[in-house]
Amino acid sequence: MTHLSIAQKALGAEVAVRSAPYFPRKKKAITGRSIAVIVFLSICALFFCVPLYVVITTSFKTMEQIREGAMFALPNVWTLEAWDHAWNSACSGTRCEGLKVGFWNSVYILIPSLILSIGLSIITGYALALWNVKWAGPFLFVLFICAFVPFQIIMFPLISMTAAMKVYGSIWGVAIIHAILAMPVLTLIFRNYYKDIPQEIMSAAVMDSGSFWKIFFEIILPMSGNILIVVLILQITSIWNDYLIGVTFGGLGGQPMTVNLANLITISTGTVRYNDNMAAALLTAIPPLVIYFFVGKLFVQGITAGAIKG
Amino acid sequence: MPRVSFEHITKTYGTLTVLDDLNLAIDDGDFLVLLGPSGCGKTTLLNLLAGLLDVTDGRIMIGDRDVTDLDPKDRGLAMVFQSYALYPTKTVHGNLKFGLSASKLPREEIEKRIAWAAKLLQIEPLLNRKPGQLSGGQRQRVAIGRALVKNVGVFLFDEPLSNLDAKLRTEMRLEIKKLHDQLKSTVVYVTHDQIEAMTMATKIAVMNGGVIQQFGTPDEIYERPSNLFVAGFIGSPAMNLRKAKLSVAAGKIEAVFTSGVRLDVSDYPFAHPPLDGAEVIAGLRPEHFTLAATGPVAATFDVPVQYAERTGPDASAYFRFEDDLLALRVEPDAAARLNPGQSMAVSYIKGKANLFDARTGQRM
Amino acid sequence: MTFRWSRWSPQLALVPAGLVTLVAFIGAILWTVYLSLTRSRRLPEYEIDWSEWGRQYERLFKDSAWQISLQNLIVLGLGSALAIVFGFILAAMIDREKRGESIFRTVFLYPLAISLIVTGAAWRWMFNPELGVEHFIHSIGLTWVNASWLARPETAMYGVILASVWQSAGFYMALMLAGLKSINSEIWSAARLDGVGLFRLYTEIIIPMMKFTFVTCAILLSLGVIKAYDVIVAMTNGGPGQSTYVPAYFTIQALSAKGNLGFASAAAVVMLLITAVIFLPLVLLTAWQQRRSGART
Repeated sequence: MTHLSIAQKALGAEVAVRSAPYFPRKKKAITGRSIAVIVFLSICALFFCVPLYVVITTSFKTMEQIREGAMFALPNVWTLEAWDHAWNSACSGTRCEGLKVGFWNSVYILIPSLILSIGLSIITGYALALWNVKWAGPFLFVLFICAFVPFQIIMFPLISMTAAMKVYGSIWGVAIIHAILAMPVLTLIFRNYYKDIPQEIMSAAVMDSGSFWKIFFEIILPMSGNILIVVLILQITSIWNDYLIGVTFGGLGGQPMTVNLANLITISTGTVRYNDNMAAALLTAIPPLVIYFFVGKLFVQGITAGAIKG
Repeated sequence: MPRVSFEHITKTYGTLTVLDDLNLAIDDGDFLVLLGPSGCGKTTLLNLLAGLLDVTDGRIMIGDRDVTDLDPKDRGLAMVFQSYALYPTKTVHGNLKFGLSASKLPREEIEKRIAWAAKLLQIEPLLNRKPGQLSGGQRQRVAIGRALVKNVGVFLFDEPLSNLDAKLRTEMRLEIKKLHDQLKSTVVYVTHDQIEAMTMATKIAVMNGGVIQQFGTPDEIYERPSNLFVAGFIGSPAMNLRKAKLSVAAGKIEAVFTSGVRLDVSDYPFAHPPLDGAEVIAGLRPEHFTLAATGPVAATFDVPVQYAERTGPDASAYFRFEDDLLALRVEPDAAARLNPGQSMAVSYIKGKANLFDARTGQRM
Repeated sequence: MTFRWSRWSPQLALVPAGLVTLVAFIGAILWTVYLSLTRSRRLPEYEIDWSEWGRQYERLFKDSAWQISLQNLIVLGLGSALAIVFGFILAAMIDREKRGESIFRTVFLYPLAISLIVTGAAWRWMFNPELGVEHFIHSIGLTWVNASWLARPETAMYGVILASVWQSAGFYMALMLAGLKSINSEIWSAARLDGVGLFRLYTEIIIPMMKFTFVTCAILLSLGVIKAYDVIVAMTNGGPGQSTYVPAYFTIQALSAKGNLGFASAAAVVMLLITAVIFLPLVLLTAWQQRRSGART
């Protein structure tokens, strides 16, 4: 997990999917103060963009140009050589097959992780929010605490358990651990969302059908569109960006892309090929960035909406 | 055999007792209205019958079946909710169909019932719409339709009209009444609106504080309220309740108000022989006063007009009597002629007074 | 009461999550706590020598790398707090000056979407001693500037802090922005009528009104700092020397590189305790909030 992702999700713990009210604004005349503010914000924006700019330009440069040391210069010759190298033949540890191995591992990890983590938590959240179950209150409290437990305190036991289940060092091991670690927060998110479903709808459904599963699939799941998308985005980005679980449970065969990248940038023998490194970093960053730029609003909603509630 | 009966029902939440040893039985075809102020336990009682809540103690029978431990879907009931509780992601057709999902009916039978209910409620053109595209009245019809398709003997309504505007409410009231007459089903209907209760019910159970205060036909409840709560709760403007002392003399029983006005109650059907000097509370309905003393009169009050209110076809006048206001129903024309401050002689029709024991609050 | 299947299916649906909580969280925590009392090295040992049950903890607090880790935790925490301040300034400016809000928001938030390994890789490259920003600054004549922070033990932590602030400032901005938007717009008008200066308006009215948001941010930041691991791996790997060790890194290092299970468990338990200390106010805050909202309804 990235060090903020738990916190981000915890914020989502009270997600009520709602967007900030969007007031139409009056056009104001530009004052001196406005200009100063915009200039300041633009400088800050520059600060935020510089690393991205450097990474992108570096990835298109040749090593000859990089060695000249003009970090902020545009590439003399734009070349995809580094991208090709990063994707196909960069070394991660002893294997030199590029990041494509990690990319596909990440994809294979992502799919079962998503299914397991969302499946487990949506059902739990549904049962806790809409059915009269015993110990719901204490259970929620324990989940709330579990959401903040540092990974290190459960790391060794989880390694032992997954080893005993013979999934340690495989994609499945990583996926199961993702599902387990995400369960408390996602359950709280779903539970809080479902809590807002009118009680009478549940009463009607109980009188009409009475079946826990039928009500879930026919009534509740179709009503969960918003929250599902928010959670899906949250999970895709946090699983894709995860390093710690991947490196701990992936073994040699199930290492996600971030682990490949970390190996590439930290364990370097001989001359370091910075353009390869930056291309690899970009390759790793592209999937979540694409999501962010396309559905950024939902992404932000997922990580912030709940935190301000109250 | 009663259609629905509650036997010794107790419901507690922790230490809070909502219903305590409640008994109530209604016959097949009855339209029972559970009437009371909010928090009186009427909705709890309905939810217990529906199976949405569990009884703490006691037994609920529907027909000759003990349903106390049955799931809601197995009780042979259908329910209409205050907020309609339509499934927002399903079409009207889907909403009606989901109501039948517990029954393992063949597809043709399901479609037949949906068509029947849609026709009955005139919602056929709406079948493919989602609830979000319907008006309040249409949603209400769909909610009723979802109950109708189940083809059950007992329908439950939980304040179904309170989210509608006044005009629609009157319309739907009639419609529900019509449906009841047509289908001959048994209805349990919860409301806090006495007009709904008086117009629709065949039986009313007035509840307060988890206790049934009176159970009877609308007329009985209105004409002969069994205690002060029912007397004060039913009727608008409310019944005038005034302290008085009985004066029992040969051949004549009178209630004497503190100001000395005497109300003749000789013809009052006392349950027990009245005692002279007994403290009572006299209940006088606003509509049993007259401004022109014609016919037999029980008492005449000489009181000043405080103000008058016209509500279109009707009017109320308020007179100052002793320390309080006396509400009267008057003709709108007469109301217009009343001048505040002017003293008038107001008569109460003979044989219409209600008397309650001041100590117990029970009807005498 | 007769058995009713319908009552049990919701209860049964909780079993998987209940088992996960019981085994993977509660059980695992107890297991680690137990291990921290044993002499386990590479493999777990389950005998506790009660005469010196705290020996792993004693060793831990004598360990210089752990002391550095704790110091760095505080440094990182204080340094990252800049992200809250920075986030608030950005939010306040965006909120007052509505022009370009969505562009600025998008720019300030994008670092949050990418992996900290990528963030670390980018900043590691920026801080490259030979070819990075320092080279550029020297090339424009400012040869006295020292910008290859990661290469020196005294400054390496500042590099990590800079990257963390860069990564998370947008997040706090988003929280603050939502907090600011929930403030009644009449307050601005009222303040203008009263002729209150902008600085006083913020320090005396707006910030006190947003204390809840600030507390939330501070707690989330602290919890994030304790978990800080990826960014250390990607930027410094704990180095130079052990100068950028933090508890999360130390613990995993003790387990995987040194293979010292009992020792690592003790460090993990201390991490848990630190989390609990930070977490306690959050629990109280939530309880208080619930009571407040309960009183409202």
